Amino acid sequence: MLDTFEILTTSGVVLWSRTYVPVGANIINSLIRDVFIEERIIPHSEEAGAKPTYRKEAYTLKWTAAKDLGLIFVAVYQSLVHLTWIDKLLDNVRALFTGLYGEQLKKEHTSVVDCSKFTPYFERQIQELEGTSDSAPSVKLTPPSSSNGESAEESAPALPALQKAQRPLYDTSADSTPVPTPDTSRPNTPGQGQGPTHLLTGKSRPGGGKLSRRDRKKASAVTSAPASSGDEASVKRKAKGSAKKNRIWGEYGAEEEDSSTILDYSQTDIQDGTSQPEALEEIKQETWGRKTGKGQFVLKDLDEEMDQIIAAENAKKESATASGGIVGSSLGALGGLFRNVVGGKTLTKEDLVKPLKGMEEHLLKKNVAQEAVVRLCESVERDLIGLKTGNFTTIESTLRTSMEKALTKILTPTSSLDLLREIQTVNASGRPYVLSIVGVNGVGKSTNLSKIAFFLLQNHHRVLIAAADTFRSGAVEQLGVHVRNLKELSKREGGEVDLFQKGYGKDAANIAQDAVVYASKNDFNVVLIDTAGRRHNDARLMSSLEKFGKLANPDKILMVGEALVGSDSVAQARNFNNSFGPGRGLDGFVISKCDTVGDMVGTLVSMVHATGIPVVFLGVGQHYADLRGLNVGSVCRLLMS
Amino acid sequence: MPWYDTDSWLTAAFAPHPATMAFTLLLVIALPILLHTFIYRKQTPTSLPGFVLLGPSGAGKTAFVTLAERSAVAQTHTSTSPLAIDAILPDTIVPTSAHYRSPGDPAYERARRLLLQDTPGHGKLRHFAAAQLANPINVRGIIFVVDAAAVADEAGLNEAAEYLHDVLLALQKRYTGAKTSKGPKEIPVLIAANKLDLFTALPPHLVKISLERAISEVRKSKAKGLKDSGVAMGGEDDGLDEEREWLGEGGDGPFEFRQMEEVGTTVTVKGGNVIGGDAADVQSWWEWIAEHL
Repeated sequence: MLDTFEILTTSGVVLWSRTYVPVGANIINSLIRDVFIEERIIPHSEEAGAKPTYRKEAYTLKWTAAKDLGLIFVAVYQSLVHLTWIDKLLDNVRALFTGLYGEQLKKEHTSVVDCSKFTPYFERQIQELEGTSDSAPSVKLTPPSSSNGESAEESAPALPALQKAQRPLYDTSADSTPVPTPDTSRPNTPGQGQGPTHLLTGKSRPGGGKLSRRDRKKASAVTSAPASSGDEASVKRKAKGSAKKNRIWGEYGAEEEDSSTILDYSQTDIQDGTSQPEALEEIKQETWGRKTGKGQFVLKDLDEEMDQIIAAENAKKESATASGGIVGSSLGALGGLFRNVVGGKTLTKEDLVKPLKGMEEHLLKKNVAQEAVVRLCESVERDLIGLKTGNFTTIESTLRTSMEKALTKILTPTSSLDLLREIQTVNASGRPYVLSIVGVNGVGKSTNLSKIAFFLLQNHHRVLIAAADTFRSGAVEQLGVHVRNLKELSKREGGEVDLFQKGYGKDAANIAQDAVVYASKNDFNVVLIDTAGRRHNDARLMSSLEKFGKLANPDKILMVGEALVGSDSVAQARNFNNSFGPGRGLDGFVISKCDTVGDMVGTLVSMVHATGIPVVFLGVGQHYADLRGLNVGSVCRLLMS
Repeated sequence: MPWYDTDSWLTAAFAPHPATMAFTLLLVIALPILLHTFIYRKQTPTSLPGFVLLGPSGAGKTAFVTLAERSAVAQTHTSTSPLAIDAILPDTIVPTSAHYRSPGDPAYERARRLLLQDTPGHGKLRHFAAAQLANPINVRGIIFVVDAAAVADEAGLNEAAEYLHDVLLALQKRYTGAKTSKGPKEIPVLIAANKLDLFTALPPHLVKISLERAISEVRKSKAKGLKDSGVAMGGEDDGLDEEREWLGEGGDGPFEFRQMEEVGTTVTVKGGNVIGGDAADVQSWWEWIAEHL
């Protein structure tokens, strides 16, 4: 069962929501943060029109967006429940909502959209979809309306003809033509216009609290949905006469708070003495409902109107794609060319293909890994499709600014990277700050470690360097030389540095652990641990990192990657990030040898793309002082130049 | 026919001709009306005085915007795009500029309207806010919303302080980098300590003290921190590395908000709560807005 359905704007205001079971606001907040802002979870390619999913705690979230209006539609339900009709619901609700309130949403300087009247539409959608998937097993005659849901495959394989007839109405994919006739819409809902059927389904179902409510809802929908044409109405009236009492009793019996909203629309048919306030509202509905001829059979018209809006939206979408494809001749092309120069062109996928290709090549030349390029281009494309170019801007320049924005977004760290403050807070709790460095062979782990040590010494910290590279010969001596130099350099500054070493062949994790103990005993406040270089795709070497992470328990694990490496950077970053076991990952990257690549600094982007972990330091030269923080703006400029 | 003839158009124009009188009468009546409509048409879309809402994510910016717009808080989630809304001051509050206007005056209503600009507070999306700060058009004030309960712990305080530091530094740069001797228009800052209804929330004066302390820390560690990569990477930063600016009195000693007055920015801290236990209490914020409208 659906827990919550929300329609919210990108600016964060919830326009409309329907809550069945209260869900904490943090669930949707984390969806927005992880998916829309940090893009940690990349939505899968939408094969077969399936909507992307996101799991958080015990909930599954599915969403869709209307980019041009800045809307996000989110459905939240328990992960345990398998709901096949959510995709359909999202599509339909999006079409309905944009159709009904599109004009209101385009207004500037306001966040108010009066969509209090959306509830009945939504309820009907739920009933329809839920009804079709529910009653499919019991009533073989009604095919499920979802054309690609699993239940369609299971329950109604024998009715291909009927299924085909159903499809156009709800299918939002562009390859089928919608048929917005009410005739096809009517048999779609189970039991509508078929009094006995619904009775049967009601009986055959095993009694349960939830189901009974659903039944009642359905019953109310059925009985109060007569057709508007005369001959049918007489038949319906009779059926309604018997069913009317039923529903009223049901309502008084079980005081459902949400069922009343639907019942409002049928109140005039019943002509109860008590329906005075509802009647008032009913008149409002009448003036507002476009399709309503008489103002009487609102619920049925709601249905039809709903279908019409959905169909119209689909048709609009289709015509947009069709016109892009077919009217690519003479006048259209000329106008397009002109627009391209002057601006004010609405971008389509076809327009973007060529410039995106160019952008892709440009980024590849800058040493950005293929995978990251594809992702960046996709996100830019998603951003731009349906957008109107500004006055006197070409597609290329629009694409450029959009790409710059995407690069800035991907490189900007989410949280603060102030190492000195972190050290301060950790030391305040009475233990040394432990930082360790990992990486592939020969990228400059020891060099960058001593650069960091130099930086810390300048800030008057007492630094202990632990030589946990017990494998490569000369590694400990190399660190010894660095420590000697640093001692010399920091004598006047007031910092203190020492080397902790146990020779070769010992277990690195144990040495690291001993170093931390030694540091806290001897009043060092920072421990820097150097580790042996290891090939990232060697499982045997990487597996020792997990133990290392557990025993030494560093506050920060930095990975050194060189700016020279090409597309391998993605795999490096990923493998190292995953090697520390569950719940622990890298905390940042040090990109070394940045001075050797000129403007081809794509490695930065590749590594951040692969893991979502920020770049903390850049190595830019041979001296101890050649360590820099990351300036996102200048890196973006270099990449786009 | 020359113009000085007795029956030329000029003579007729000055003679007591009925057509002339009719035309003059029409002109006399119609001109003020035309002028009025023309001028008022032009006047209506003037940009409203704007207030920019800044602050870390989850502080309550969007909630305040919705409260200002519809006098009831709508449910909100993390913003990913900016939002601007028209708001009107609550009835009880009179803007300083309209103090001597009578309530019937149409200009009175206009003086009460303002534009509230919400910005996303997430770390990756602060470029919207940065753009607003770099080029403030008709911005009368900045409202920096902080979560008074989150400020109580280290992480929340640091995030807020770092953001506030950047905002204040941008304002200071705007002042010191001004081309004219008069300096740019002052932009006051209100630090709105939100969520005071929570049990763990700090009172406004404590929020002020802890933010000041945290900003001094931020400034200190920025001074000690590594240089930026801009120059070293061959980016053509125009001497950005050489002259870094320090917030408030050259960056020495503890930072106080008072020091910002020197560079044309007054900082006020006021408490309130958008979503209340009993009711929303943002009266003091409205008063501040009215003061600077």
